[in-house]
Amino acid sequence: MKKILQISLGIVTSVGGFLEIGSVMTAAQAGAAFGYQLLWAILLGTLCLIFLVEMSGRLAAVSKHTIVEAMRERFGFPFFFIVLIGMVLVAFMVLVAELGGIGLSFQILTGIGFPWWAAPVSLLVWLLMWKGTFGLIENGASLLGLVTICFIVAAIKLRPDWSSAASGLVPTMPHMDKAHYGFIAVSILGASISPYLMYFYSSGAIEDKWDESYIPINRLIAGLGMTFGGVLSMAVLVTAALALRPRGIQVDAFDQAALLTTTALPKWGFYLFAMSMLFACFGAALEISLAIAYFFAQGFGWNWSEDLEPSKDARFSLVYTIIILLAAIPLVAGIDPVKVTMVSMALTAATLPLAIVPFLFLMNDPIYMGKHRNGWLSNSVVAIVILISFVLAVISIPLQIIGG
Amino acid sequence: MNLVRDVLDKKLLDREDCPMGRVDGLVMHVGERSQPRITHIRIGGSTPWMRVHPAFAKLGAKLARLWGPRRTEPVRIPWSHVVTAGRDIKLDVKARNTGALDWEIWIAEHIIERIPGGGQEEEE
Repeated sequence: MKKILQISLGIVTSVGGFLEIGSVMTAAQAGAAFGYQLLWAILLGTLCLIFLVEMSGRLAAVSKHTIVEAMRERFGFPFFFIVLIGMVLVAFMVLVAELGGIGLSFQILTGIGFPWWAAPVSLLVWLLMWKGTFGLIENGASLLGLVTICFIVAAIKLRPDWSSAASGLVPTMPHMDKAHYGFIAVSILGASISPYLMYFYSSGAIEDKWDESYIPINRLIAGLGMTFGGVLSMAVLVTAALALRPRGIQVDAFDQAALLTTTALPKWGFYLFAMSMLFACFGAALEISLAIAYFFAQGFGWNWSEDLEPSKDARFSLVYTIIILLAAIPLVAGIDPVKVTMVSMALTAATLPLAIVPFLFLMNDPIYMGKHRNGWLSNSVVAIVILISFVLAVISIPLQIIGG
Repeated sequence: MNLVRDVLDKKLLDREDCPMGRVDGLVMHVGERSQPRITHIRIGGSTPWMRVHPAFAKLGAKLARLWGPRRTEPVRIPWSHVVTAGRDIKLDVKARNTGALDWEIWIAEHIIERIPGGGQEEEE
């Protein structure tokens, strides 16, 4: 019974980690501009993420090391430092986007501009990290994120043509706007394959004291949780294809995305969209802030745990305090969170090789993995993901300039 | 033992399993008539930054003189204190007495404990 509860909570947590402002905005833009044609990008991103998250959990359960710890030990400080710079810069931008997403949710609910919400929202996120435990952050925020199921309800109510939708699962090129199509595809992959999610997941496995007996549970959580998250993203795309595309609405602003749910659910759709984005972004902001603090603490060998009181892991607590404070500044200044989202998703794609290449080595290292090393299937998938990540790294910035 | 693979960059734990940083560097004694041997583990200070570029080490040392516990020299732990070298390196020392936690203690006392809810540093 305890294990079933753990699996259920794990799946819910995965959903909370998957759906955030990046995945919603990129999926909504894809559906509004190209109908079902970009569903394959979400499918591909989800499949990659299932394997990567499963490996993150397995590494932690078997070796009792997080990805960052193992990476520093296996590749040394200079390599760790390069990854630290890349990952923290990108994760910081994603954090700005998520805090902005919470602010924008309050803006459409209250009419008060998001810059006014930046400080109180950041304070609330920080306060939860300061006083809360890992369990509260992992499970509490994610349970609230379940309101995002409204996107599936909205998609079904709009009666999609399932055979047309299924044809979108096979990649095809559009006749026009090829650069924009490419940019959105890259952004969807950047939003799906989020390295911070892997760092958070492996740290969570250590916080929850996983051992080798958790390997089957980890497989279920990664498989079902990420699939559920991917289905939610696909529901956003399908809803956008049916609700926004016929009206020629391109999702350039957050309030346009609210039309996703209001078409299918006229009475409650607006509030459900606002609450979905609020909780999803809130959960993601907590996870990213923690992931950045974990990165520093684990890499430098500091004491770290979200369950300790802040003075017991002072440097860890100071990192998330400073990061949240810094992330609030551009929002108070009025930077557009949607633009930050799109840039940060493309940059995530550009830095993917840094996060994924070390994985191939770590998951085949007998010292860390023993008999639980990667098999041929997992290695083939990582090799494919690495190939994709290098292609994304090369094309993401030019596509950002031409098609963004 | 492969020093780079099995020792360098590993996590250091004191006798109470308290994390006290990572093996940022190793000091080797090379005598004229004796075999080279590892004498000390170096933690923090400019040691890890020197491995990236000397400019980073200089910048780090400058910043450390301006702010914090003003410790600029890396901590040196004699190799004789190493108890086990496995997944982590276990040392027969108390982390607080080595200087490896100077920054942790300084940040706790000067910043974290001054914020409500930050908690109190445990008295020895």
